[in-house]
Amino acid sequence: MITIQKLAKSFDARPVVKELSFEAPDGTITGLLGANGAGKTTTLRMICGVLQPESGSIVVDDTSSGDALDRQRRIGALLDHIGIYSRLTVRENLAFFGRLRGMPADLLAERIEAVVSILGLEAIADRRTHGFSQGESMKTALGRALLHSPQNLLLDEPTNGLDIPTIRSLRDLLRRLRDAGTCIVYSSHVLEEVRALCDRVVIIAGGRIVAEGSPQELCSQAETTSLEEAFIELADATRSN
Amino acid sequence: MNPALTIARKEIVDGLRDVRSVMASLFYALMGPAVVGLVSMATHANAKPESESAVLTGMMAIFTLVSTFVGGMNIAMDTVAGERERRSLLPLLLNPVSRRNVVLGKWLAVSFFALAGLVVDVLGFLIVFATAGTHISAGPGRLLPGALGLASLPFLAASVQLLISTVSRGVKEAQTYLSLIVFLPMGIGMFLVFSPAAKRVWCNFLPLVGQQLQLEALVNGDGTSLFEPIVLGCLTVGLAIVILLAAANRLQRDEIIYGN
Repeated sequence: MITIQKLAKSFDARPVVKELSFEAPDGTITGLLGANGAGKTTTLRMICGVLQPESGSIVVDDTSSGDALDRQRRIGALLDHIGIYSRLTVRENLAFFGRLRGMPADLLAERIEAVVSILGLEAIADRRTHGFSQGESMKTALGRALLHSPQNLLLDEPTNGLDIPTIRSLRDLLRRLRDAGTCIVYSSHVLEEVRALCDRVVIIAGGRIVAEGSPQELCSQAETTSLEEAFIELADATRSN
Repeated sequence: MNPALTIARKEIVDGLRDVRSVMASLFYALMGPAVVGLVSMATHANAKPESESAVLTGMMAIFTLVSTFVGGMNIAMDTVAGERERRSLLPLLLNPVSRRNVVLGKWLAVSFFALAGLVVDVLGFLIVFATAGTHISAGPGRLLPGALGLASLPFLAASVQLLISTVSRGVKEAQTYLSLIVFLPMGIGMFLVFSPAAKRVWCNFLPLVGQQLQLEALVNGDGTSLFEPIVLGCLTVGLAIVILLAAANRLQRDEIIYGN
């Protein structure tokens, strides 16, 4: 579970995230929606411990927010930078990150095989990743995020470049993880995807939360049947305020 | 395995697989012995043995200092500035590893290549000297401490290069600064060769300058105490650690993630 209270961050005296608070419970897929520059990526980066918040608290699995390394142990993340090592094979990439997380050798070997199988990477698992397509790179990066079976999973546009069958199997995988109790935070611009997958949606505009609830609740709130319309309506309402 | 060692091992494997880069570093490291060998052949016929030896010694010292800076240059450039550009630094920093450990691991890898550059350079010079019939006067008791003083230099070079790579916004910028840094040992070396009167006792303890003087003394067989190379080695590694901490500090900043 991830609980955020009054999180704030500025870059060059320009506020990007303003007293943002929300909760992403276990066993739930929480969608983050927002236009470009709304503050989604900065929020995810702060939760993951790569950026320091100016104020506010981040609590992961009921532990204190003070230690970013402790949060990182409990989180698996695929953020906007998916960079993988081009001179290492898929298995070597995964093994490197598993060792960094201190996974025992036998568990690591077992998890690498599991992740390779889940993501359908068998055919390319022993190939160096140089020259991989966007989809192949994305699958490898996704494997990296799932490798240590994290209790909390943060995904930023994880379907970019994936083919339709892989998107479908990713959705199935995320649903299975949710049913097993994993807390998933899912950021995407593809509203159909958010509607199909997310149990709750948090809409961010101008660094603030402007609405949250299930996709149906948001549509009711905006008096529309389309999540796209609801998103535009709710984000615009805040901008005009 | 310690996270820093895990990172170092990955960087070394990654660096060795970059065959073009390894070949370029090897070429750089062997450039000194090749040039000195050619100069030796050209001057052998008409120069006096003493003056020929002095020229070769001076040139060798300069090229050897330069070799410590070129061996790890490519990997230093690739390991932080390159990772930022390829967008693989953020995924690395998502792991529960302190930034100090990240920098330490990368430093160990850059030091490995810098040390390898130095070893290749020294081996090349030994072959050139043996072929040219130049006699190295120092005995084993003098060679070991001298080598220790010299062996500390790649660690300093690796720290400086890693700091530059951390400060740079991309590979091109890092490449520009790192190429300029190579002129530092070259400039200091040439200054000392052409202005021997400028040498002072404290110069023996000044990183880079001290190594140049140690190298000349080593080849000429000038007797100095073990104290100087050992203190020089400690001071050089100490300075390397201070610079390394500055690089780790730089890696803590937000700019490393979102900066262009």
